[in-house]
This record gives sequence, structure tokens and C-alpha cells, in this order.
Amino acid sequence: MTLAIDARGLGKVFGAGALAFRALDAVDFQVTPGELVMLVGPSGSGKTTLLSILGCVLTATEGELRLFGERVSGRPERELPLLRRALIGFVFQGHNLIGALSARDNVRLVLESRGTTAHAARAEADALLAAVGLADKRDRLPAELSGGQRQRVAIARALAGAPPLVLADEPTAALDAHAGLEVTELLTRMCRERGTTVVVVTHDNRIFHLADRIVHIEDGRIVDGRLSGVAA
Amino acid sequence: MTVDVAARLRAARGGRLRRAQATTVVALRMMLHDKAKLIGTTLGVVFAVVLAAQQLGVLFGLLQKNTMFVDNAGADLWIVPPGTTQTAPGQRMSTALLDQARATPGVAVAAPLLMIGTSVTKPGGGSEATTLVGFDLDAGLGGPWNIVAGDVAALRAPDALFFEDAQREKFGGLNLGSVREVGGHKVRVVGFTWGLQPFGPPFAFADIDTVRDLGAVPADQLSFVLIKLAPGADRAAVAADLAARCPTAQVIATPTFHATIVSTLLRQQLGITFGTSTAFGLIIGFIIVALSMFSAVLDNLREYGTLKAIGLTSWDLTRMLIVQSIVYALLGSLIGLGLVALMSAGIRGPNLVVIVPRTLVLATPLIMSALCMLASVLALRRVRRLEPGMVFR
Repeated sequence: MTLAIDARGLGKVFGAGALAFRALDAVDFQVTPGELVMLVGPSGSGKTTLLSILGCVLTATEGELRLFGERVSGRPERELPLLRRALIGFVFQGHNLIGALSARDNVRLVLESRGTTAHAARAEADALLAAVGLADKRDRLPAELSGGQRQRVAIARALAGAPPLVLADEPTAALDAHAGLEVTELLTRMCRERGTTVVVVTHDNRIFHLADRIVHIEDGRIVDGRLSGVAA
Repeated sequence: MTVDVAARLRAARGGRLRRAQATTVVALRMMLHDKAKLIGTTLGVVFAVVLAAQQLGVLFGLLQKNTMFVDNAGADLWIVPPGTTQTAPGQRMSTALLDQARATPGVAVAAPLLMIGTSVTKPGGGSEATTLVGFDLDAGLGGPWNIVAGDVAALRAPDALFFEDAQREKFGGLNLGSVREVGGHKVRVVGFTWGLQPFGPPFAFADIDTVRDLGAVPADQLSFVLIKLAPGADRAAVAADLAARCPTAQVIATPTFHATIVSTLLRQQLGITFGTSTAFGLIIGFIIVALSMFSAVLDNLREYGTLKAIGLTSWDLTRMLIVQSIVYALLGSLIGLGLVALMSAGIRGPNLVVIVPRTLVLATPLIMSALCMLASVLALRRVRRLEPGMVFR
């Protein structure tokens, strides 16, 4: 079976010389297709650095990363946007919607940036927004939506074009407890329906029960929750 | 779930045109969304366009004031004193040149022109300078144009003059039939021209013999010889023949004379003065646009980071800023040129006409687009250096 994520010996050092800081140290991290993994750990443990490398927005200093068998490590930086467009959907901590675009256009942008025609993109965006319960708010700008609604638009955007991998960075951080749980439940339900692999970075233990596996990371190392049965 | 990575990569690699369209729309929406920046940046372009186009318009107007005599004299060739760079009173030449010119094959008409600087005494005392232009009424070359009152034929009467309409008050309330004193002689106003005012004193037209009398100029002297070519005659060949026959004078074609006046004025104070103010306008506009666009990028840094994170390339973001630059340039040029047109209409008078030629109107949006694109370099550098990973921080 091809792993969705296969990271071996990943290391990341920021800075150089006396100011060098090792954020990740020989991290082995594997995720099977369709699995929902939560990456937890204290602040500064390296969760976000690992998520950034998995999301191809940051390159590792050492080690090798493959997504669905496709080698990411060693690729020139100019090829990384292509990998992101083809394989990954993102949910950010602060929703990060484009303020000038309506909910629908935020979702459409992802689709059209992948070459989907305007008509098809519009139809898919509407369907996704309906699926996250925002059919009646698709023409609203982000500023006209509540925090929970914005994060639901962000989920619709992350799932636009059916990426096989969704990476979520603290999706509940900016929401109250109720909205946070609701949004994460929505994300997990929709991803499970689509067989999407999900990695969620979170501190929020109220959503741990939604994970297939919880991976603990401390001081840049995986300390618990490795996938069993993976050859070293 | 099996993922066909190769197929997904192929699909994501295609659709460049759709991506370009989508990012263009996003660029425009982002521009329109931030109305304060939109207004500020557009005003920067408007400022640059108004200042630069208005200054150039005034410059073209002033140049036109100094070339209008050459352009309206009706001559194909001019015989002038060597080194002449303007149509103004100066060194005189012999009337023998007229005979030489008339004997040259290809010359249909050779007419004398006499220009003298003099003053008009006002009824209440005091005087005002004027440039008397004496021309051959039969040949018609070098006579008045833009006539707003009177008939050129009236200049056949003794001591009859055409004055500049805009100077009527200055000359003590001139009207048709008014009598004034020029060089100790009484002259009578028989017509008016409009806007014939070069840098120097305004033109007043009369028959060449009248001007000789008024200026006490000997009968064998003239200022210029104006040549009208015979139909089918080759201007360059006739000019060369004339130059050979008139070695003490300079033979110059009308377009060359026009260009000489323009280049002389531009090399002197006009070019420096107006060049500086035009450049100043463009530089200020450039700075406003550069700072506004940079500030807009800084304000939306997280959004640009998000666009990169979801897979847009640095080139996609560059295209967005270029689109915004061009729209700012077009919008600013349109408003700016509109304002310049209104200002030109307001300023237009006999002393100054602001001329905004079609070439300038067409070139303005292109120049401003280039300027705005250049101004967006700061913003572009920031966007291109932006790490998409910043969205996770």
C-alpha cells in the first residue's frame, strides 16, 4: 500500500551558526490514505513546522518526504506550488479567507487556479458551501460572516477540487468551544465521506475523539503515536 | 482510496489561462475592496498625469506660439540670414536675394518679408512694443491669419495696420478706425488678428512699404525671402540651387525652420524649465504609486501568503500586481487627461493655448502603465520573497 504521507528522518534547522535552532529532529511520520491523524504537543514542539513541511510550504533541512508515493524532497522550490495545487487542501488557524472575495469566490479561486472552468467551479463551490451549511451565505464577504461560518468556508475551500490530503492548523483556535467542535466534526465527516487523508495540528483535547490516531511531538521529535508496521 | 498523482499533477499543471483569468479577477477585487488605497493610488497617477500633461501642453503651446509664423506664412522655403533660429526682427539682407530667387527654376513666388521692432504710442501717453510685419500684399506670403475683424485688402491703404485683438486694451482701447502713432507716423487700425503673440511683442501686420516708411528701412533691405515652389518642383533641389545662388544667406525648408526653432527653444530655458516640472510631476506620481502599492501589499501580506500556500506561483502574484498597476495607470490617465482637457479649455486665450496633441493623449496611458509597473517593483519584491509558510505562523 502506498502511504499518503511517508516522512523519514525529517529535520529542520532555522538560522545558522550560534543562532541555529533545530525545530525538527529525525522525524519519521507516516499516515495511511483516508486516515485522520491529530498532531499534538506543547507550543514550540515542532507541530507547525512539521505541518508546513508536509504542506510543501517549507522545505526540510534533512530527510525524505513522499506524498502518495511522489517524492517531495529534493524538488526545486518552483515545483512546490504545483504539488500544493494538485494534492493538498489547507485549513488555517485564522481561516485566511481573501477579504475582497465572497464565500463562493474564495472557494472558486482554488478550483479555477487548478484549471477548472468558471461554470464548473461555480457549481462545485455552491455544492461545497451547501454541504457546509452556507448555501444562503455564499455571496457574503468574510467580514460579513461569523468566525464559525468563516471556518466553514475555509473547510469548503480546503475540500475544493477533492484534494487527497487536507492539512489543518489549529482549526478551532479562533472559535468558541461549541463552534470549534462543530467545525471539526464537519471537517472530519466530510473528509471521511471523501476518503481524504487529514492531518490536524491541535491543542484542543475536546476534539481528540474524532482522530483515528494521535501523534505526540515534543522538542521536534515524535514521542508517541507512530504508525505500527512501517518498515524503517 | 487510490490517488492518481500523475493525473492530478497533469491537471494542476494545465489551466494556466484559467489561473491567469482567476488571478486577474482577484487582483481587481482586491483593488476595489480597499477603497482608500484605490483612491490614494489613483490620485497619485492623476497628479502625475495632470502635472506632466499640463506642463507639456503649455510647452507645446509656447512652442506653437513661436513656430506659428513659419507654419502659417505659406512658404515652402525661406531665405534667412545665416544662423537664424527664430522669426523675429534681426539682421537684414539685401533685396538682391529676391531677384536671385525669382530667377531660380522651380520658384513660383519669391516674396519679401520685413520685420522690425517698434513701439505704439498710446493716446494717454506711454508706449507699448510691437513687432511690425511687412509683407507683399500681392504675393500674400507672410500675411496675417486668424483674422477676427477687417479685410487684408484694407492694408493697401496708406499707413493701415492689423493689430492683435488681445492687445486692444494694452494699446489704449483700439478699435477699427482707431489712429495711433508708430515711429512718429500716424497709423490707422483696419483689422485684428487673434492669438498671434510669440514670446516677444505681438505682431502687427502692414504692407511692406508701409513698414519701410514706419521703420525708416532702406528700400534695398528685407528680413526674409519667402519662397513658394512651382507645382511639381523638388523642394530639396530648388533649395540647393538657391543656396548656390545666395551664398551670403541660408536657405531653409519650412519644416526644418520649424524644427530649428523648436530645438533652439528646448535647448534653452524652455526645455529645462518644462522638462524639470514634467519630470517632477512624474517622480511625485511614481513615489505615491510605489508607496501606495507597497503599503497595499503590506496590508494584505497574509492574503498574498495564503494565495501562495494554496498553490499560486510568484508569477501569478506578479501578474496580479501588474494588472493592478495597469488599471491604476489607465484609471488615473483617464481622469487626469479629462482634467487637463478641462484646464486647457479654461486657460485657452490669445496669450497661451495649452496644446495636448493626440500623440500625448495616446502615449499617456502607456507611459503611466510603464511608470506604475516600475513603481510596483517594491511591492513585487516583497510579494516574491514572501514565504507561503508564513500562513502557519
